[in-house]
Amino acid sequence: MKLRDLPVVSYVFEAGADDRVFDSLLLVGPLVIGLIVVLDRSVVTEALAVAYLAVFVLYTLYRGIRE
Amino acid sequence: MNGSVETVGRDLGRILEALGGLMLVSLVVPVVWGEFFALPALLVSALIPLGIGWMLNRRFREAEAPGRFHGMIVAASGWFSVGIFGSLPFLLIAWSVQLGVPGISTPAQTATLAAFTEPLNAIFESMSGFTGTGLTMTDNEEVLPRTLQWWRTFTEWVGGVGVIVLTTAILSRPGSGSLTLYESEARSEKIHPSIVSTVRTIWWIFILFTFVSILALWLAGMPIWGAINHGMTGLATGGFSITDNSIATYDSVAIDFVLIPIMLLGSIAFPVHYLILRGDLRNFYSDLQTRWVFGYMGIGSALLWSFLYYAGPYGTPFAALRYGLFQFVSAATCTGFQTAVDATNVALGRWPSYAQLTVTFGMLVGGAAGSTAGGIKLIRGLTLAKGIRHQIADVFYPETAVRRLEINGRRLNEEEASREFMEAAIIVVLWITFLVVGTFMLLLTLPSGEYSLANVVFEVASAQGNVGLSSGITGPESLPVVGKVAFLFHMWIGRLEIIPVLVMLRTIFKRGGLYQ
Repeated sequence: MKLRDLPVVSYVFEAGADDRVFDSLLLVGPLVIGLIVVLDRSVVTEALAVAYLAVFVLYTLYRGIRE
Repeated sequence: MNGSVETVGRDLGRILEALGGLMLVSLVVPVVWGEFFALPALLVSALIPLGIGWMLNRRFREAEAPGRFHGMIVAASGWFSVGIFGSLPFLLIAWSVQLGVPGISTPAQTATLAAFTEPLNAIFESMSGFTGTGLTMTDNEEVLPRTLQWWRTFTEWVGGVGVIVLTTAILSRPGSGSLTLYESEARSEKIHPSIVSTVRTIWWIFILFTFVSILALWLAGMPIWGAINHGMTGLATGGFSITDNSIATYDSVAIDFVLIPIMLLGSIAFPVHYLILRGDLRNFYSDLQTRWVFGYMGIGSALLWSFLYYAGPYGTPFAALRYGLFQFVSAATCTGFQTAVDATNVALGRWPSYAQLTVTFGMLVGGAAGSTAGGIKLIRGLTLAKGIRHQIADVFYPETAVRRLEINGRRLNEEEASREFMEAAIIVVLWITFLVVGTFMLLLTLPSGEYSLANVVFEVASAQGNVGLSSGITGPESLPVVGKVAFLFHMWIGRLEIIPVLVMLRTIFKRGGLYQ
Protein backbone atom coordinates (compact mmCIF):
# COMPACT_ATOMS: atom_id res chain seq x y z
CA MET A 1 0.00 0.00 0.00
CA LYS A 2 1.37 3.39 -0.98
CA LEU A 3 1.26 6.51 1.19
CA ARG A 4 -1.06 8.26 -1.24
CA ASP A 5 -3.61 5.44 -0.88
CA LEU A 6 -4.30 6.30 2.78
CA PRO A 7 -7.73 7.98 3.15
CA VAL A 8 -6.72 11.43 4.49
CA VAL A 9 -3.51 11.56 2.47
CA SER A 10 -5.29 10.81 -0.79
CA TYR A 11 -7.76 13.65 -0.17
CA VAL A 12 -4.91 16.07 0.53
CA PHE A 13 -2.94 14.96 -2.53
CA GLU A 14 -5.93 15.22 -4.85
CA ALA A 15 -6.92 18.75 -3.77
CA GLY A 16 -5.01 22.01 -3.55
CA ALA A 17 -2.06 23.36 -5.48
CA ASP A 18 -0.85 19.92 -6.65
CA ASP A 19 2.46 20.35 -4.85
CA ARG A 20 3.97 17.76 -2.51
CA VAL A 21 5.74 20.31 -0.26
CA PHE A 22 2.51 22.15 0.51
CA ASP A 23 0.71 18.81 0.85
CA SER A 24 3.35 17.73 3.37
CA LEU A 25 2.97 20.97 5.33
CA LEU A 26 -0.76 20.38 5.49
CA LEU A 27 -0.30 16.85 6.78
CA VAL A 28 2.44 17.77 9.27
CA GLY A 29 0.60 20.86 10.63
CA PRO A 30 -1.62 19.03 13.13
CA LEU A 31 1.40 17.08 14.42
CA VAL A 32 3.39 20.27 15.06
CA ILE A 33 0.46 21.92 16.83
CA GLY A 34 -0.18 18.71 18.77
CA LEU A 35 3.45 18.64 19.93
CA ILE A 36 3.18 22.24 21.07
CA VAL A 37 0.03 21.41 23.04
CA VAL A 38 1.76 18.45 24.72
CA LEU A 39 5.28 19.85 25.25
CA ASP A 40 4.35 23.54 25.68
CA ARG A 41 6.83 26.30 24.82
CA SER A 42 10.40 25.04 24.54
CA VAL A 43 13.40 25.45 22.26
CA VAL A 44 12.38 22.33 20.35
CA THR A 45 8.77 23.35 19.75
CA GLU A 46 9.77 26.92 18.85
CA ALA A 47 12.35 25.59 16.38
CA LEU A 48 9.68 23.35 14.85
CA ALA A 49 7.25 26.24 14.46
CA VAL A 50 9.94 28.49 12.97
CA ALA A 51 10.95 25.73 10.54
CA TYR A 52 7.32 25.19 9.50
CA LEU A 53 6.74 28.88 8.79
CA ALA A 54 10.11 29.28 7.09
CA VAL A 55 9.43 26.37 4.73
CA PHE A 56 6.01 27.79 3.90
CA VAL A 57 7.21 31.34 3.18
CA LEU A 58 10.48 30.46 1.44
CA TYR A 59 8.94 27.72 -0.67
CA THR A 60 6.10 30.02 -1.78
CA LEU A 61 8.71 32.60 -2.86
CA TYR A 62 10.85 29.92 -4.49
CA ARG A 63 7.92 28.64 -6.55
CA GLY A 64 7.09 32.19 -7.57
CA ILE A 65 10.64 32.96 -8.67
CA ARG A 66 10.98 29.61 -10.45
CA GLU A 67 7.81 30.21 -12.44
CA MET B 1 -45.20 17.92 -4.77
CA ASN B 2 -43.34 20.89 -6.13
CA GLY B 3 -39.92 19.68 -7.33
CA SER B 4 -38.09 22.69 -5.97
CA VAL B 5 -39.31 22.04 -2.44
CA GLU B 6 -37.78 18.59 -2.69
CA THR B 7 -34.45 19.88 -3.98
CA VAL B 8 -34.21 22.62 -1.37
CA GLY B 9 -35.42 20.27 1.38
CA ARG B 10 -32.83 17.63 0.47
CA ASP B 11 -29.94 20.13 0.42
CA LEU B 12 -31.13 21.80 3.62
CA GLY B 13 -31.18 18.35 5.19
CA ARG B 14 -27.57 17.78 4.14
CA ILE B 15 -26.54 21.11 5.65
CA LEU B 16 -28.22 20.23 8.95
CA GLU B 17 -26.55 16.82 8.94
CA ALA B 18 -23.19 18.54 8.44
CA LEU B 19 -23.98 20.91 11.33
CA GLY B 20 -24.76 17.94 13.56
CA GLY B 21 -21.47 16.36 12.46
CA LEU B 22 -19.56 19.50 13.43
CA MET B 23 -21.11 19.34 16.89
CA LEU B 24 -20.22 15.67 17.24
CA VAL B 25 -16.59 16.45 16.31
CA SER B 26 -16.61 19.18 18.94
CA LEU B 27 -17.36 16.59 21.65
CA VAL B 28 -13.58 16.11 21.81
CA VAL B 29 -13.19 19.56 23.40
CA PRO B 30 -15.16 18.97 26.64
CA VAL B 31 -13.45 15.59 26.98
CA VAL B 32 -9.95 17.08 26.62
CA TRP B 33 -10.69 20.01 28.95
CA GLY B 34 -12.59 17.84 31.46
CA GLU B 35 -15.82 19.80 31.03
CA PHE B 36 -18.00 16.70 31.26
CA PHE B 37 -21.05 18.75 32.24
CA ALA B 38 -21.11 20.06 28.64
CA LEU B 39 -21.16 16.61 27.04
CA PRO B 40 -24.90 15.81 27.32
CA ALA B 41 -25.89 19.29 26.11
CA LEU B 42 -23.54 19.14 23.15
CA LEU B 43 -24.65 15.63 22.27
CA VAL B 44 -28.34 16.60 22.33
CA SER B 45 -27.49 19.74 20.32
CA ALA B 46 -25.88 17.51 17.69
CA LEU B 47 -28.67 14.94 17.54
CA ILE B 48 -31.44 17.48 16.86
CA PRO B 49 -30.10 18.91 13.55
CA LEU B 50 -28.71 15.49 12.67
CA GLY B 51 -32.16 13.90 13.07
CA ILE B 52 -34.03 16.64 11.22
CA GLY B 53 -31.41 16.70 8.49
CA TRP B 54 -31.50 12.93 8.11
CA MET B 55 -35.30 12.97 7.79
CA LEU B 56 -35.23 15.75 5.17
CA ASN B 57 -32.44 14.07 3.23
CA ARG B 58 -34.18 10.72 3.33
CA ARG B 59 -37.61 12.15 2.46
CA PHE B 60 -36.30 14.06 -0.57
CA ARG B 61 -33.35 11.91 -1.63
CA GLU B 62 -34.79 11.45 -5.12
CA ALA B 63 -34.97 15.21 -5.72
CA GLU B 64 -33.48 16.72 -8.85
CA ALA B 65 -30.00 18.27 -8.88
CA PRO B 66 -30.01 21.93 -7.84
CA GLY B 67 -29.83 24.82 -10.29
CA ARG B 68 -28.51 28.28 -9.52
CA PHE B 69 -31.86 29.50 -8.29
CA HIS B 70 -32.03 26.63 -5.81
CA GLY B 71 -28.47 27.51 -4.80
CA MET B 72 -29.64 30.94 -3.67
CA ILE B 73 -32.63 29.60 -1.76
CA VAL B 74 -30.53 26.86 -0.14
CA ALA B 75 -27.81 29.37 0.80
CA ALA B 76 -30.28 31.80 2.37
CA SER B 77 -32.38 29.19 4.18
CA GLY B 78 -29.29 27.14 5.06
CA TRP B 79 -27.49 30.03 6.72
CA PHE B 80 -30.63 30.93 8.62
CA SER B 81 -31.21 27.35 9.78
CA VAL B 82 -27.61 26.87 10.79
CA GLY B 83 -27.82 30.11 12.79
CA ILE B 84 -30.90 28.81 14.60
CA PHE B 85 -29.73 25.23 15.27
CA GLY B 86 -26.17 26.38 15.97
CA SER B 87 -27.52 28.20 19.01
CA LEU B 88 -28.37 24.94 20.76
CA PRO B 89 -24.93 24.39 22.37
CA PHE B 90 -25.06 27.92 23.85
CA LEU B 91 -28.60 27.47 25.12
CA LEU B 92 -28.30 23.93 26.45
CA ILE B 93 -24.86 24.31 28.06
CA ALA B 94 -26.00 27.52 29.76
CA TRP B 95 -29.07 25.71 31.12
CA SER B 96 -26.94 22.69 32.10
CA VAL B 97 -24.84 24.95 34.31
CA GLN B 98 -27.93 26.81 35.54
CA LEU B 99 -29.82 23.67 36.61
CA GLY B 100 -26.91 21.28 37.14
CA VAL B 101 -26.34 17.89 35.51
CA PRO B 102 -27.16 14.86 37.73
CA GLY B 103 -24.04 12.90 38.64
CA ILE B 104 -21.62 15.42 37.10
CA SER B 105 -20.10 18.40 38.89
CA THR B 106 -20.91 21.72 37.22
CA PRO B 107 -19.12 25.04 37.66
CA ALA B 108 -20.81 28.05 39.22
CA GLN B 109 -23.05 30.01 36.90
CA THR B 110 -21.61 33.29 35.61
CA ALA B 111 -23.47 36.35 34.34
CA THR B 112 -21.80 35.86 30.95
CA LEU B 113 -22.99 32.28 30.53
CA ALA B 114 -26.39 33.04 32.09
CA ALA B 115 -27.06 35.44 29.19
CA PHE B 116 -27.32 32.39 26.92
CA THR B 117 -30.25 30.99 28.87
CA GLU B 118 -32.21 33.53 26.81
CA PRO B 119 -32.81 31.86 23.42
CA LEU B 120 -32.52 35.17 21.53
CA ASN B 121 -29.03 35.77 22.92
CA ALA B 122 -27.99 32.24 21.97
CA ILE B 123 -29.34 32.66 18.43
CA PHE B 124 -27.61 36.05 18.16
CA GLU B 125 -24.26 34.49 19.12
CA SER B 126 -24.70 31.61 16.71
CA MET B 127 -25.76 33.82 13.79
CA SER B 128 -22.89 36.19 14.57
CA GLY B 129 -20.52 33.22 14.43
CA PHE B 130 -21.76 31.56 11.27
CA THR B 131 -21.95 34.89 9.42
CA GLY B 132 -18.41 35.74 10.55
CA THR B 133 -19.60 38.91 12.26
CA GLY B 134 -18.16 38.67 15.73
CA LEU B 135 -20.61 40.89 17.61
CA THR B 136 -21.26 39.13 20.88
CA MET B 137 -23.76 38.72 23.68
CA THR B 138 -20.99 37.87 26.14
CA ASP B 139 -19.63 40.29 28.72
CA ASN B 140 -16.46 38.36 29.41
CA GLU B 141 -15.43 35.58 27.04
CA GLU B 142 -12.70 34.38 29.41
CA VAL B 143 -15.21 32.88 31.85
CA LEU B 144 -17.04 30.87 29.20
CA PRO B 145 -16.47 27.10 29.28
CA ARG B 146 -13.74 26.07 26.85
CA THR B 147 -16.37 24.08 24.95
CA LEU B 148 -18.30 27.26 24.12
CA GLN B 149 -15.11 29.20 23.41
CA TRP B 150 -14.33 26.49 20.83
CA TRP B 151 -17.87 26.39 19.44
CA ARG B 152 -17.82 30.17 18.85
CA THR B 153 -14.47 29.84 17.05
CA PHE B 154 -15.58 26.82 15.06
CA THR B 155 -18.78 28.55 13.86
CA GLU B 156 -16.75 31.44 12.44
CA TRP B 157 -14.16 29.17 10.85
CA VAL B 158 -16.74 26.96 9.14
CA GLY B 159 -18.80 30.03 8.20
CA GLY B 160 -15.67 31.51 6.62
CA VAL B 161 -15.17 28.49 4.39
CA GLY B 162 -18.88 28.51 3.67
CA VAL B 163 -18.88 32.02 2.29
CA ILE B 164 -15.84 31.33 0.08
CA VAL B 165 -17.57 28.26 -1.31
CA LEU B 166 -20.75 30.28 -1.78
CA THR B 167 -19.10 33.07 -3.76
CA THR B 168 -16.48 31.15 -5.69
CA ALA B 169 -18.19 27.85 -6.41
CA ILE B 170 -21.94 28.27 -6.09
CA LEU B 171 -22.72 31.90 -6.88
CA SER B 172 -19.74 32.61 -9.08
CA ARG B 173 -19.68 34.89 -12.08
CA PRO B 174 -16.76 36.49 -13.91
CA GLY B 175 -15.29 39.43 -12.10
CA SER B 176 -17.79 39.99 -9.34
CA GLY B 177 -17.29 36.85 -7.33
CA SER B 178 -21.02 36.34 -7.13
CA LEU B 179 -23.64 34.87 -9.35
CA THR B 180 -25.90 36.30 -11.98
CA LEU B 181 -28.22 37.01 -9.16
CA TYR B 182 -30.73 38.86 -11.21
CA GLU B 183 -31.22 36.41 -14.01
CA SER B 184 -34.79 35.49 -14.69
CA GLU B 185 -35.88 32.20 -13.25
CA ALA B 186 -36.26 30.71 -16.73
CA ARG B 187 -32.54 31.19 -17.32
CA SER B 188 -31.55 29.39 -14.14
CA GLU B 189 -28.62 27.10 -14.92
CA LYS B 190 -27.10 24.02 -13.38
CA ILE B 191 -24.26 24.40 -10.92
CA HIS B 192 -20.83 23.78 -12.42
CA PRO B 193 -20.00 20.06 -12.30
CA SER B 194 -16.50 20.63 -10.86
CA ILE B 195 -17.91 22.12 -7.65
CA VAL B 196 -16.68 19.20 -5.51
CA SER B 197 -13.03 19.64 -6.52
CA THR B 198 -13.33 23.41 -6.09
CA VAL B 199 -14.68 23.00 -2.57
CA ARG B 200 -11.93 20.52 -1.67
CA THR B 201 -9.26 22.93 -2.86
CA ILE B 202 -10.80 25.78 -0.88
CA TRP B 203 -10.67 23.59 2.24
CA TRP B 204 -7.06 22.62 1.42
CA ILE B 205 -5.93 26.25 1.24
CA PHE B 206 -7.98 27.30 4.26
CA ILE B 207 -6.64 24.54 6.50
CA LEU B 208 -3.03 25.14 5.42
CA PHE B 209 -3.38 28.88 6.14
CA THR B 210 -5.01 28.07 9.48
CA PHE B 211 -1.95 26.07 10.59
CA VAL B 212 0.35 28.87 9.44
CA SER B 213 -1.72 31.45 11.33
CA ILE B 214 -1.81 29.43 14.55
CA LEU B 215 1.94 28.86 14.56
CA ALA B 216 2.72 32.51 13.72
CA LEU B 217 0.54 33.74 16.60
CA TRP B 218 2.06 31.22 18.99
CA LEU B 219 5.56 32.32 18.03
CA ALA B 220 4.52 35.94 18.61
CA GLY B 221 3.84 35.02 22.22
CA MET B 222 0.18 34.01 22.35
CA PRO B 223 -0.64 30.92 24.45
CA ILE B 224 -1.50 27.91 22.25
CA TRP B 225 -5.24 27.85 23.10
CA GLY B 226 -5.47 31.54 22.22
CA ALA B 227 -3.38 31.00 19.08
CA ILE B 228 -5.67 28.17 17.90
CA ASN B 229 -8.82 30.21 18.47
CA HIS B 230 -7.55 33.57 17.21
CA GLY B 231 -5.73 31.97 14.27
CA MET B 232 -8.99 30.38 13.15
CA THR B 233 -11.19 33.43 13.70
CA GLY B 234 -8.54 35.80 12.30
CA LEU B 235 -8.19 33.91 9.04
CA ALA B 236 -11.96 33.56 8.79
CA THR B 237 -12.14 37.35 9.38
CA GLY B 238 -14.70 36.56 12.06
CA GLY B 239 -13.23 38.28 15.09
CA PHE B 240 -14.57 36.25 18.00
CA SER B 241 -12.06 36.24 20.83
CA ILE B 242 -11.60 34.09 23.91
CA THR B 243 -10.48 37.06 26.01
CA ASP B 244 -12.45 39.86 27.60
CA ASN B 245 -10.80 42.72 25.71
CA SER B 246 -10.23 40.95 22.40
CA ILE B 247 -6.62 41.24 21.19
CA ALA B 248 -6.01 44.21 23.53
CA THR B 249 -5.85 41.68 26.36
CA TYR B 250 -2.38 40.61 25.20
CA ASP B 251 -1.22 44.23 24.82
CA SER B 252 1.57 42.96 22.56
CA VAL B 253 3.01 44.82 19.59
CA ALA B 254 4.25 41.53 18.09
CA ILE B 255 0.80 39.90 18.25
CA ASP B 256 -0.85 43.00 16.79
CA PHE B 257 1.52 43.03 13.82
CA VAL B 258 1.34 39.26 13.22
CA LEU B 259 -2.44 39.41 13.10
CA ILE B 260 -2.43 42.05 10.34
CA PRO B 261 -1.17 39.70 7.56
CA ILE B 262 -3.45 36.93 8.86
CA MET B 263 -6.49 39.18 8.49
CA LEU B 264 -5.24 40.28 5.06
CA LEU B 265 -4.90 36.63 3.97
CA GLY B 266 -8.57 36.15 4.79
CA SER B 267 -9.61 39.21 2.80
CA ILE B 268 -7.88 38.19 -0.46
CA ALA B 269 -9.92 36.12 -2.92
CA PHE B 270 -9.13 32.43 -2.48
CA PRO B 271 -8.84 31.74 -6.23
CA VAL B 272 -5.95 34.24 -6.12
CA HIS B 273 -4.39 32.36 -3.20
CA TYR B 274 -4.61 29.21 -5.29
CA LEU B 275 -2.73 30.85 -8.16
CA ILE B 276 -0.10 32.29 -5.81
CA LEU B 277 0.49 28.86 -4.22
CA ARG B 278 0.97 27.49 -7.71
CA GLY B 279 3.78 29.96 -8.20
CA ASP B 280 2.04 32.84 -9.91
CA LEU B 281 3.12 35.63 -7.54
CA ARG B 282 2.20 38.28 -10.11
CA ASN B 283 -1.36 38.04 -8.85
CA PHE B 284 -0.33 40.16 -5.87
CA TYR B 285 -0.30 43.14 -8.21
CA SER B 286 -1.92 41.95 -11.45
CA ASP B 287 -5.26 41.04 -9.83
CA LEU B 288 -7.31 44.20 -9.44
CA GLN B 289 -8.92 43.28 -6.13
CA THR B 290 -5.70 42.07 -4.52
CA ARG B 291 -3.87 45.21 -5.61
CA TRP B 292 -6.63 47.27 -4.08
CA VAL B 293 -6.70 45.23 -0.86
CA PHE B 294 -3.22 46.58 -0.20
CA GLY B 295 -3.78 50.03 -1.69
CA TYR B 296 -7.07 50.61 0.07
CA MET B 297 -5.78 49.34 3.42
CA GLY B 298 -2.69 51.49 3.05
CA ILE B 299 -4.56 54.69 2.23
CA GLY B 300 -7.24 54.10 4.89
CA SER B 301 -4.69 53.29 7.58
CA ALA B 302 -2.59 56.36 6.72
CA LEU B 303 -5.67 58.57 6.92
CA LEU B 304 -6.73 57.08 10.23
CA TRP B 305 -3.19 57.37 11.57
CA SER B 306 -3.13 61.10 10.74
CA PHE B 307 -6.53 61.62 12.45
CA LEU B 308 -5.43 59.72 15.54
CA TYR B 309 -2.05 61.39 15.84
CA TYR B 310 -2.61 64.99 14.78
CA ALA B 311 -6.13 65.50 16.11
CA GLY B 312 -6.85 62.42 18.15
CA PRO B 313 -6.14 60.67 21.38
CA TYR B 314 -2.65 59.23 20.82
CA GLY B 315 0.47 61.13 21.83
CA THR B 316 3.13 59.32 19.82
CA PRO B 317 3.30 58.53 16.09
CA PHE B 318 3.94 54.85 16.84
CA ALA B 319 0.92 54.48 19.13
CA ALA B 320 -1.29 56.12 16.46
CA LEU B 321 0.23 53.79 13.82
CA ARG B 322 -0.17 50.68 15.96
CA TYR B 323 -3.82 51.23 16.82
CA GLY B 324 -4.81 53.03 13.61
CA LEU B 325 -3.31 50.42 11.29
CA PHE B 326 -4.69 47.49 13.27
CA GLN B 327 -8.19 48.91 13.61
CA PHE B 328 -8.48 49.95 9.97
CA VAL B 329 -7.26 46.57 8.71
CA SER B 330 -9.50 44.82 11.24
CA ALA B 331 -12.49 46.87 10.00
CA ALA B 332 -11.80 46.76 6.27
CA THR B 333 -11.08 43.03 6.29
CA CYS B 334 -14.30 42.73 8.33
CA THR B 335 -12.55 40.81 11.10
CA GLY B 336 -13.51 42.89 14.10
CA PHE B 337 -10.59 42.23 16.43
CA GLN B 338 -10.16 45.17 18.77
CA THR B 339 -6.98 46.62 20.24
CA ALA B 340 -8.41 50.08 20.95
CA VAL B 341 -10.04 49.60 24.36
CA ASP B 342 -10.00 51.71 27.50
CA ALA B 343 -8.12 49.05 29.48
CA THR B 344 -4.88 49.69 27.57
CA ASN B 345 -5.39 52.88 25.53
CA VAL B 346 -8.50 54.67 24.16
CA ALA B 347 -11.69 52.80 23.27
CA LEU B 348 -12.86 52.93 19.67
CA GLY B 349 -16.22 54.38 20.75
CA ARG B 350 -14.37 57.36 22.27
CA TRP B 351 -12.30 58.13 19.17
CA PRO B 352 -13.22 61.38 17.39
CA SER B 353 -16.31 61.04 15.17
CA TYR B 354 -14.31 61.48 11.94
CA ALA B 355 -11.94 58.69 13.00
CA GLN B 356 -14.92 56.42 13.76
CA LEU B 357 -16.46 57.28 10.39
CA THR B 358 -13.18 56.43 8.64
CA VAL B 359 -13.34 53.00 10.25
CA THR B 360 -17.04 52.79 9.28
CA PHE B 361 -16.13 53.49 5.65
CA GLY B 362 -13.61 50.64 5.82
CA MET B 363 -16.34 48.31 7.08
CA LEU B 364 -18.72 49.44 4.33
CA VAL B 365 -16.37 48.63 1.45
CA GLY B 366 -14.85 45.45 2.92
CA GLY B 367 -12.37 43.10 1.24
CA ALA B 368 -12.25 41.11 -1.99
CA ALA B 369 -15.15 39.09 -3.38
CA GLY B 370 -14.30 35.40 -3.08
CA SER B 371 -12.71 35.92 0.33
CA THR B 372 -14.10 35.59 3.85
CA ALA B 373 -14.52 39.37 4.16
CA GLY B 374 -17.91 41.10 4.25
CA GLY B 375 -19.05 44.57 3.19
CA ILE B 376 -19.94 45.69 -0.33
CA LYS B 377 -16.66 44.18 -1.66
CA LEU B 378 -13.83 45.94 -3.43
CA ILE B 379 -14.76 44.74 -6.91
CA ARG B 380 -18.18 46.37 -6.66
CA GLY B 381 -16.71 49.65 -5.43
CA LEU B 382 -14.17 49.59 -8.27
CA THR B 383 -16.82 48.66 -10.85
CA LEU B 384 -18.92 51.60 -9.70
CA ALA B 385 -15.96 54.02 -9.79
CA LYS B 386 -14.77 52.86 -13.22
CA GLY B 387 -18.35 52.75 -14.53
CA ILE B 388 -19.06 56.31 -13.43
CA ARG B 389 -15.84 57.51 -15.08
CA HIS B 390 -16.76 55.58 -18.24
CA GLN B 391 -20.24 57.12 -18.36
CA ILE B 392 -18.98 60.66 -17.82
CA ALA B 393 -16.23 60.26 -20.45
CA ASP B 394 -18.87 58.97 -22.88
CA VAL B 395 -20.10 62.54 -23.35
CA PHE B 396 -16.80 63.49 -24.99
CA TYR B 397 -16.89 60.77 -27.64
CA PRO B 398 -18.95 60.73 -30.87
CA GLU B 399 -22.10 58.61 -30.71
CA THR B 400 -20.67 56.17 -33.22
CA ALA B 401 -17.56 55.49 -31.11
CA VAL B 402 -17.17 51.90 -29.89
CA ARG B 403 -15.90 52.02 -26.33
CA ARG B 404 -15.07 49.26 -23.91
CA LEU B 405 -14.85 49.26 -20.14
CA GLU B 406 -11.82 47.42 -18.80
CA ILE B 407 -12.17 45.76 -15.41
CA ASN B 408 -9.54 43.38 -14.07
CA GLY B 409 -8.22 42.48 -17.52
CA ARG B 410 -11.69 41.93 -18.99
CA ARG B 411 -12.78 44.28 -21.81
CA LEU B 412 -16.54 44.71 -21.56
CA ASN B 413 -18.73 45.94 -24.39
CA GLU B 414 -21.50 48.49 -23.76
CA GLU B 415 -24.10 45.89 -22.83
CA GLU B 416 -21.79 43.95 -20.51
CA ALA B 417 -20.46 47.14 -18.91
CA SER B 418 -23.95 48.46 -18.34
CA ARG B 419 -25.04 45.15 -16.82
CA GLU B 420 -22.09 44.86 -14.43
CA PHE B 421 -22.40 48.51 -13.45
CA MET B 422 -26.08 48.07 -12.71
CA GLU B 423 -25.49 44.91 -10.65
CA ALA B 424 -22.87 46.66 -8.53
CA ALA B 425 -25.12 49.71 -8.14
CA ILE B 426 -28.09 47.59 -7.04
CA ILE B 427 -26.05 45.91 -4.30
CA VAL B 428 -24.62 49.22 -3.11
CA VAL B 429 -28.02 50.94 -3.07
CA LEU B 430 -29.61 48.01 -1.20
CA TRP B 431 -26.70 47.89 1.23
CA ILE B 432 -26.99 51.59 2.05
CA THR B 433 -30.79 51.44 2.22
CA PHE B 434 -30.68 48.68 4.83
CA LEU B 435 -27.94 50.56 6.67
CA VAL B 436 -30.10 53.69 6.87
CA VAL B 437 -33.24 51.76 7.88
CA GLY B 438 -31.27 49.89 10.55
CA THR B 439 -29.80 53.11 11.86
CA PHE B 440 -33.24 54.72 12.19
CA MET B 441 -34.59 51.64 13.92
CA LEU B 442 -31.75 51.55 16.41
CA LEU B 443 -31.98 55.28 17.10
CA LEU B 444 -35.67 54.84 17.91
CA THR B 445 -35.13 51.93 20.30
CA LEU B 446 -31.97 52.99 22.13
CA PRO B 447 -32.22 55.27 25.20
CA SER B 448 -32.06 58.84 23.89
CA GLY B 449 -28.80 60.71 24.37
CA GLU B 450 -26.78 57.64 25.34
CA TYR B 451 -25.13 57.06 21.97
CA SER B 452 -24.12 59.45 19.19
CA LEU B 453 -25.24 59.08 15.56
CA ALA B 454 -21.67 58.06 14.68
CA ASN B 455 -21.88 55.27 17.31
CA VAL B 456 -25.16 53.96 15.89
CA VAL B 457 -24.10 54.07 12.21
CA PHE B 458 -20.85 52.38 13.23
CA GLU B 459 -22.68 49.54 15.01
CA VAL B 460 -25.19 48.88 12.21
CA ALA B 461 -22.44 48.98 9.55
CA SER B 462 -20.45 46.57 11.71
CA ALA B 463 -23.36 44.10 11.88
CA GLN B 464 -24.28 44.35 8.20
CA GLY B 465 -20.66 44.29 7.04
CA ASN B 466 -20.08 41.17 9.21
CA VAL B 467 -17.28 43.00 11.00
CA GLY B 468 -17.95 42.78 14.72
CA LEU B 469 -16.28 45.95 15.97
CA SER B 470 -18.47 47.61 18.55
CA SER B 471 -18.91 51.15 19.74
CA GLY B 472 -20.36 49.69 22.92
CA ILE B 473 -24.02 49.26 21.91
CA THR B 474 -24.11 45.48 21.44
CA GLY B 475 -24.50 43.47 24.63
CA PRO B 476 -27.07 41.27 26.36
CA GLU B 477 -28.47 44.20 28.34
CA SER B 478 -27.49 47.26 26.29
CA LEU B 479 -29.05 46.18 22.98
CA PRO B 480 -32.88 46.14 23.07
CA VAL B 481 -34.77 43.08 21.79
CA VAL B 482 -35.81 44.93 18.61
CA GLY B 483 -32.16 45.78 18.00
CA LYS B 484 -31.10 42.16 18.47
CA VAL B 485 -33.70 40.93 15.98
CA ALA B 486 -32.75 43.68 13.52
CA PHE B 487 -29.05 42.80 13.86
CA LEU B 488 -29.84 39.13 13.18
CA PHE B 489 -31.35 40.27 9.88
CA HIS B 490 -28.44 42.64 9.12
CA MET B 491 -25.86 39.90 9.73
CA TRP B 492 -27.81 37.44 7.60
CA ILE B 493 -28.30 39.70 4.58
CA GLY B 494 -24.75 41.04 4.88
CA ARG B 495 -23.24 37.55 4.68
CA LEU B 496 -25.32 36.53 1.67
CA GLU B 497 -24.88 39.87 -0.12
CA ILE B 498 -28.58 40.68 0.27
CA ILE B 499 -29.98 39.34 -3.01
CA PRO B 500 -30.35 35.62 -2.11
CA VAL B 501 -32.23 36.60 1.05
CA LEU B 502 -34.57 38.87 -0.89
CA VAL B 503 -35.08 36.16 -3.51
CA MET B 504 -35.96 33.68 -0.76
CA LEU B 505 -38.33 36.08 0.99
CA ARG B 506 -40.01 36.97 -2.31
CA THR B 507 -40.41 33.29 -3.11
CA ILE B 508 -41.99 32.59 0.25
CA PHE B 509 -44.19 35.63 0.67
CA LYS B 510 -45.13 36.78 -2.82
CA ARG B 511 -45.50 33.54 -4.71
CA GLY B 512 -46.88 31.60 -1.82
CA GLY B 513 -44.69 28.64 -2.66
CA LEU B 514 -41.28 27.72 -3.90
CA TYR B 515 -40.01 28.25 -7.41
CA GLN B 516 -41.62 26.03 -10.01
